[in-house]
Amino acid sequence: MSGERRIVAFCCRECAYAAADTSANARTALPPSVRLVLVPCTGRVGPLHLLRALADGADGVMVAGCLLGQCHYREGNFNAVDRVAFVRRLLESVGVEPERCRMFTMSAGEPPRFVAAVREMDRVIAALPPLPRSGDTAPAAGTTDAAVAGMGVA
Amino acid sequence: MPLTHRGREILRRVPGGHLRGTPAVGCEIVRHEELCVGCGTCARVCPSGASRRGGSFDVAQLLDAPEGSRRGELGAALRVLMRHPPEGPIEVPERVTVYRTIVHDAEICLGCGACARSCPAGAVEARPPRTDVAQASGRDQDT
Ligand code: SF4
Ligand code: SF4
Repeated sequence: MSGERRIVAFCCRECAYAAADTSANARTALPPSVRLVLVPCTGRVGPLHLLRALADGADGVMVAGCLLGQCHYREGNFNAVDRVAFVRRLLESVGVEPERCRMFTMSAGEPPRFVAAVREMDRVIAALPPLPRSGDTAPAAGTTDAAVAGMGVA
Repeated sequence: MPLTHRGREILRRVPGGHLRGTPAVGCEIVRHEELCVGCGTCARVCPSGASRRGGSFDVAQLLDAPEGSRRGELGAALRVLMRHPPEGPIEVPERVTVYRTIVHDAEICLGCGACARSCPAGAVEARPPRTDVAQASGRDQDT
């Protein structure tokens, strides 16, 4: 079951990814569900990255950046915080649990905090029901589409 | 329609306004929300404040956006995930600049067409002034 879960973590190169690296060197086990994506700064992560990851199979997405005020590019992480908030509102408005998208902050020297963040995310996602996608039930979605199209014609 | 002094002043500040002359004023502005990318250029060039960036965003706009556009891609991802149609507009956090609805207030719009000329997405249409007005201005010039 836990092998089925997939969490995509967008990690800032300056802090979260460095923290992940250190924790890996110390052989700290991360939940098997997590997939790390290296980004130069969390300010690079936009709504499309987060939403597309969810649409393409992730059960949760997390953005891990520097402590607020300590972004190496000044304020990339503030942008990320607001974009994550925006995506959460988007998800909520279409009936998807906003908990599936979350922002964490840490410094490069805090590998335990990174590990705790990933475990926390894994725990939250594990408690949620599986995320249904319209592609999962292709025939059903097809018939709904056809029905909608039919209504449009009539 | 002859311009007042204030009208000429405003037109001078409008990008391209001095090139196109007076007939641009008095246009009827028609917005095509499905094409709008929310860049806010129209709000920036608007001399009267009739086009403004709103604080909320209508999620349904993403679903209507043309395929292949950035908003369209976001809409496609949302369509895969959504369990019910969007529940009306959402509030946009401060630093998110592009996913905003542009509010156009026809009451104070000058019809200068600056928004239409500057829109990179072709989302604003400036329909020329009604012909009777155009004819009236033509008569003015004759005499
Ligand atoms: S036509 Fe109206 S909305 Fe557009 S720039 Fe001019 S005053 Fe503003
Ligand atoms: S300039 Fe065009 S695309 Fe940009 S916000 Fe205005 S209407 Fe939308």
